[in-house]
Amino acid sequence: MNIAAFQTRILTVKSKLYRFAFRLLDNEEEAKDVVQEVFIKVWNGRERMNEIENWEAWCMRITKNLSLDRIRSRQRRATDSMDNHFDIKNESLGPHETTELNESMQRITVYIAALPEKQRQVIHLRDVEGYSYNEICEILELDMNQVKVNLFRARNSVREKLIKTNAYGL
Amino acid sequence: MDSKEIEQLVEKYWNCETTLEEEKHLRNFFASEEVPSHLNEPSELFHYFEEQRKKPLSDSTFDSTILRKLKDASPEGKVVKMFYSVAKIAAGFIVVVAAGYLVRQEVRKSYPAEVADTYSDPKLALEETKKALMLISKSFGKAQKEASKIEMFNEAEKAIQGKNEEKKSSSI
Repeated sequence: MNIAAFQTRILTVKSKLYRFAFRLLDNEEEAKDVVQEVFIKVWNGRERMNEIENWEAWCMRITKNLSLDRIRSRQRRATDSMDNHFDIKNESLGPHETTELNESMQRITVYIAALPEKQRQVIHLRDVEGYSYNEICEILELDMNQVKVNLFRARNSVREKLIKTNAYGL
Repeated sequence: MDSKEIEQLVEKYWNCETTLEEEKHLRNFFASEEVPSHLNEPSELFHYFEEQRKKPLSDSTFDSTILRKLKDASPEGKVVKMFYSVAKIAAGFIVVVAAGYLVRQEVRKSYPAEVADTYSDPKLALEETKKALMLISKSFGKAQKEASKIEMFNEAEKAIQGKNEEKKSSSI
């Protein structure tokens, strides 16, 4: 594969990779860095591309692994991991984004950010990116049952919070 | 699609029983139509997902940066990789050759030099060989004489044993 083919075939999924990395990292710059790393890895392994059945899922899996590596190193660096993690999440919503998102969008962003990691990954891949269950299994290296359980919990957790908010303004 | 169908689909959606196609129907419905108030929650959620889907990697320099990195990285990477592989093989070869040479030197030192011809005249050489063979045969002759003495002892021992047996039989 030459650079031109790479540009037309692989580089087109950059936004999907970026959104997924951003969902996991909550940080624009880090998400961009991860996407760059993914492309370099894919480029270096381009001879294997023909053996890979679903290269987009493969790219997404590399994105997930690199993002999780960054989260782990971030957690190692943090002296008080719980507080810092919460701060990072709030800081990542910059003033520009905050004004742009309406109230409902902000609420859902917070609800999804509060989900456990696996649930966050699954709901993003299914409901934002529209991947099939099989593709999600491949990307997250989970079995079908785990994917469905995590998706069910994620959707219903957000639903319950929305119902409460709409009913009682909580 | 009427609202009853939508409600059923929404219920299926919460239970994770919808297909990708059905979820697409729901997306289209919530994006375009007036939504009844009891479907507020899925409507908000679907709007949120729609907004997220539109979020691009908004960096105009991203493509050029990554392409430059790939161009820079690939040829150098290959040359460096090849250089290291060739260097490894060459180093291995040199070690084997050097070890072989040293071992050969040691083996040569431990063995005496090959025997060289001592005589240029064949007649003289024959004479000298005869002398040497005569010396060996003399030594053999001496050795045979000494050995015949041992034989004499053996015969004497046999004779004594024979006499003793005769005495025993006459006394019985």
